[in-house]
Amino acid sequence: MIKKISNLRKFFACAALILAVTWLHAFSPGGARAADNKAAATIEELTPSMSYKEYHKRYEAYYGDTTARMAEEGNPADFLLDDGKDLANKVEGSKGKSCASCHGKDALKLKGAATTYPRYDARLPGIMTFALQINTCRQKQMGARPLKYESYDQLALTMYIKSLSNGMPIKVSIDGPARPFFEKGKIAYYKRQGQLNFSCAICHVQYAGYKARSNLISNNKHHADHWPSYRLKWGKTGSLQRRFRGCLKNMRAKRPPLQSEMLRNLEFYLTYINNGDLIQVPGMRM
Amino acid sequence: MAMDRGNGRGKAGPWAAVAVIVFMIAALPLSAQAGNAKKGEKIAKTRKLGNCVACHYLPNVESPGDIGPNLVEAMQEYTMADRKDVVQWIRDARKFNPGTIMPPFGTNKILTPKQIDDLVTYLYTLKK
Repeated sequence: MIKKISNLRKFFACAALILAVTWLHAFSPGGARAADNKAAATIEELTPSMSYKEYHKRYEAYYGDTTARMAEEGNPADFLLDDGKDLANKVEGSKGKSCASCHGKDALKLKGAATTYPRYDARLPGIMTFALQINTCRQKQMGARPLKYESYDQLALTMYIKSLSNGMPIKVSIDGPARPFFEKGKIAYYKRQGQLNFSCAICHVQYAGYKARSNLISNNKHHADHWPSYRLKWGKTGSLQRRFRGCLKNMRAKRPPLQSEMLRNLEFYLTYINNGDLIQVPGMRM
Repeated sequence: MAMDRGNGRGKAGPWAAVAVIVFMIAALPLSAQAGNAKKGEKIAKTRKLGNCVACHYLPNVESPGDIGPNLVEAMQEYTMADRKDVVQWIRDARKFNPGTIMPPFGTNKILTPKQIDDLVTYLYTLKK
């Protein structure tokens, strides 16, 4: 009996060790990096299904200008803009400062600031998204607590400061040290994942303009220029990264947390391919 | 008392085994038969199962997708001799088209082999 138990113990110890080793291997940054590099070599860009012009023609024919008209009549997300402006002037944190203390009344000096985000930041090191930049500023410059992602205040402040760049073209740079993160973002965009084995690109490049049941699959132009955006399906305002997570859920894939490295790299890649699109915040989408 | 119950269970053991074997033999011809077309149609049109209509045209469905080929047209090209190819398309279409968007329903365990069998039986009812 005792011998049996000790055998059993040995067995479990072995099993635990094997599990631990595989787990460590799966999460070790070295292993992940090696896999990324391998994928980088094999990435093959897909051919777009049709021009953006042709896609837009189909969109108009199928949906009409419903959301555009709704946005004109009054985007529910507009309410966040006023609250965001108040937050920009509100003194918070241990250093007795507000955004306005450095960036002028209503933070107006930040006009145009959003056009170059996401950008490489050597202090991370990695990709600094606009939302992460605002929270970093709050912590380091104001001594204030970071705002919880997707919370009302976080979305309001991000939206307000981003709206100061409305009408200006996105101009994200992928030069120098930013390049590897752009490549990683591209891999994230092209990698097949989840139980359904989809990638962002297979739908939004190769099959954009076709219908998945009654949804017209959107072309990836203008995907990054209107966030935070009001979305009818949510009945709420949300960020691009929330949208990413929604898409990953539909793909039955693993969903990394908001502002995780993968989602920041993905946002970087997508915003770069939207360079030249005019920022229009808040957006209104189905 | 406890011993009696123990013995009772011991006696029932062989009979239970026989019953299971008899049941398995009875069930054998069922599983050897082609699948159930009615179940297959439900699998094809249910979002949480096959959801074929997300991408393919099938009759009697509100706004089917247009990403993949029309399955009524496609099925006219297949005879019963090609049944294993139709199964393979659903199980893992990458064998025929490595870059396909079609999810590997068998390989990724989205559907069970039995469900795929039902589905294929339904698809053959579309042949004119």
